[in-house]
Amino acid sequence: MAIVKMKKMYLLGLKKDLDRFLDALQRLGAVEIADIEEEEGGSSKITAELSDLDTKLSRLKFAIEFLRPYAKEQNPLFYGRPKVSLRKLREISSREGEIFEIVDAIYGFEQRFSRLKTEEGRIGNQIELIKPWGALDIPVEDLGTTGRVDLKAISVPKKNFKALLDKLKETDLPLEVIPVGESREENLALAIYHRSARSEVQELYKEFSVNTEEFNGFAGTPAEIVRKLQERLEAIEVERKKIKEEIAKLADRLMDLKAFYDYWLLERQKKENLQKMADTEKIFVMKAYVPENSVESVKKAVNSVTDAVHLAFEDPAEDDDIPVVLSNPRLVQPFEIVTELYSLPDPRGIDPNVYMAPFFFVFFGMMVSDAAYGLVLSLLSALALWKLKLAGMGKKLVELLFLGGISTFIWGMIFGSWFGDLIKIKPLWLNPLDNPMAVLYLSFAMGLVQIYTGIILSAYKNIRNGKVADALMDQGLWLVFLTGLIMLAFPSMVGMAKYIALAGAAGLVLTQGRTQRSLIKKFTSGLLSLYNVTSYLSDVLSYSRLLALGLATGVIATVINTMAKMLGVNIVGYIAMIAVMVGGHIFNIAVNALGAYVHSSRLQYIEFFGKFYDGGGRPFDPLRMKTEYLDLEDF
Amino acid sequence: MEITLGQVLALLGAAMAVFLPGVGSARGVGMVGEAAAGVVTEDPSKFSQTLILQALPGTQGIYGLLTGFVVMQRIGLLGGKLLPLTTYQGLLVFAACLPIAIVGLLSAISQARAAAAGVGIIAKRPEELAKGITYAAMVETYAVLSLLASILMLFGLRFS
Repeated sequence: MAIVKMKKMYLLGLKKDLDRFLDALQRLGAVEIADIEEEEGGSSKITAELSDLDTKLSRLKFAIEFLRPYAKEQNPLFYGRPKVSLRKLREISSREGEIFEIVDAIYGFEQRFSRLKTEEGRIGNQIELIKPWGALDIPVEDLGTTGRVDLKAISVPKKNFKALLDKLKETDLPLEVIPVGESREENLALAIYHRSARSEVQELYKEFSVNTEEFNGFAGTPAEIVRKLQERLEAIEVERKKIKEEIAKLADRLMDLKAFYDYWLLERQKKENLQKMADTEKIFVMKAYVPENSVESVKKAVNSVTDAVHLAFEDPAEDDDIPVVLSNPRLVQPFEIVTELYSLPDPRGIDPNVYMAPFFFVFFGMMVSDAAYGLVLSLLSALALWKLKLAGMGKKLVELLFLGGISTFIWGMIFGSWFGDLIKIKPLWLNPLDNPMAVLYLSFAMGLVQIYTGIILSAYKNIRNGKVADALMDQGLWLVFLTGLIMLAFPSMVGMAKYIALAGAAGLVLTQGRTQRSLIKKFTSGLLSLYNVTSYLSDVLSYSRLLALGLATGVIATVINTMAKMLGVNIVGYIAMIAVMVGGHIFNIAVNALGAYVHSSRLQYIEFFGKFYDGGGRPFDPLRMKTEYLDLEDF
Repeated sequence: MEITLGQVLALLGAAMAVFLPGVGSARGVGMVGEAAAGVVTEDPSKFSQTLILQALPGTQGIYGLLTGFVVMQRIGLLGGKLLPLTTYQGLLVFAACLPIAIVGLLSAISQARAAAAGVGIIAKRPEELAKGITYAAMVETYAVLSLLASILMLFGLRFS
């Protein structure tokens, strides 16, 4: 029940058997190997092998991700991961050379792609640069100097161009500027001048920030150059297509790559654990944690390898870092996700799931509180569970929504809400819109039940640790005091309530300062502890959200219905009405399911767990067949 | 039909209940969206996780709309027959709208700050998403409480 008891295992064996031991334990998947604190760190040989493995894995991973878009994969959400047998896996792994040829080829493709991409970028820039010169019908290799005359292509910032031309009109330099075109920010022109004017022309260039274009490495007129460049771009596209075709041919090898990756991932996990062991030349010692119920199967697995082994089990010591496994009834399992997302329980603490689950179930439903919404939620979750191959957290979450839907359905019947006010069915109890105060009191009452449960669990924890006196004084007296305060609210019980509350308060004042030394401090801290009553008060008030979120769902549903019905005046209107209703209610379900999940989690985390729960557990992570891409069929 | 100052005040309250938290939620959802977009640039697979955080400061706007709707229903606007409210009755409705109007506006923005910081959690430690959500949900408590106050006030009012 609850937190599974762990045993500490020591295994002493011969090094030559080590690999077979690890194989057997990995298949069993019930042993978490712990670090034996050795003075000198792990062997450098293993470290080197590990980093070698990591390089291979990351190369493989790159190749797999590269190849993926070219292969037709079945969505694992619908079909599950591909299955492969261990024998097949071993067989593929014997073809290492062949596999890495594929990987090398893929790296080659990738390089070709990136070269093409660089070239494409460069050509794009060149086209951009040369295109504005299109009107220039002189081959660029003819530009330059002919001996007496210089012929230059120049670009002038647009704002300077007119000034330059004006200046030229005034001077009598042997210089002619013929406009050719313009780019985004510059005017382009052909400058022809006698070489005797070179220095003056240079001066002018400086004054108007004129640049000369050299067209280095090109030949032909600019229009021809651009055409050639564009032809090259098309050629690049063709080449890329060709490469893609080549890659597509490799696509059916994707499965092999995945298998290979997973094979080495398994190897890596074994190797990792080698580092944690202590060894001499011939023998090794392994320390590990094993759930108590798996001890027998571990013994069997180890003995099946060889008899030359010493195996010992013992209870973990006080300061051992024990991993945590939870074991709960099937119905409670979906709720484990709520605790897991908060923090796993301390290995020596209490598993809260069994106590938390009923509250979460009730609160979730009360916050959505619409029978039709509950049905939709449950049906959709059931459909997802049926059709999708879910595992782990995702599966638990959908199961949680399924249960939440059932609770929502029940509360919806109690409050008589079916798609808000769309379908009018008499409520089993009352409509919260008619008497919100009654539902508010119900919310507070449920909050009190949960808070009391929390206090009692805290007392239970103390008693289990042998601190009965603490349980009586810290939790027992608070229960007395709070009960008295609650009874004060009921006129018929006021008489007795006064004494109960007073007795509780007096007890708290007398006991809560017991750790203090001086008498005065004992008294003052006892008195101050009564102030905690405000935190209980705010805890209880916090449960008013049960009413508020429930009301919110109902009213928003009504708003949707009202708006939709306003549209229903003709045929088009009816269609729009249905669209608004469907869309609106789906939106409302989504928003309120999220809200209900968040807020009922919050009530557990803050109001409930705050009372008794110690988190900080570390999940049990045994050596097992943990694969990334494929599922192993038999091992 | 004669329009009374009371009706104007009541409608003003409803309007405030809708637009102030609406403004807050719009700002808040936007803030978280900006932070989320940064994370998704790095890792698109985190979209759904960030979306949850982004949705959180959006609820205030819904609470505001809801309160506005309750006002409209109470003063007969939806039935097409606006009740002839006195000035004091109108002020009562106006007062009832204040909690969600003001707390909705401010809490949406504060919640968005917490949620945007939670996006940082997703970036570095996606497995701790629930903690980010819880921080943001702590802020929402006050929006829920003010919604409750506003609604209880509105249901408590009787105009006849």
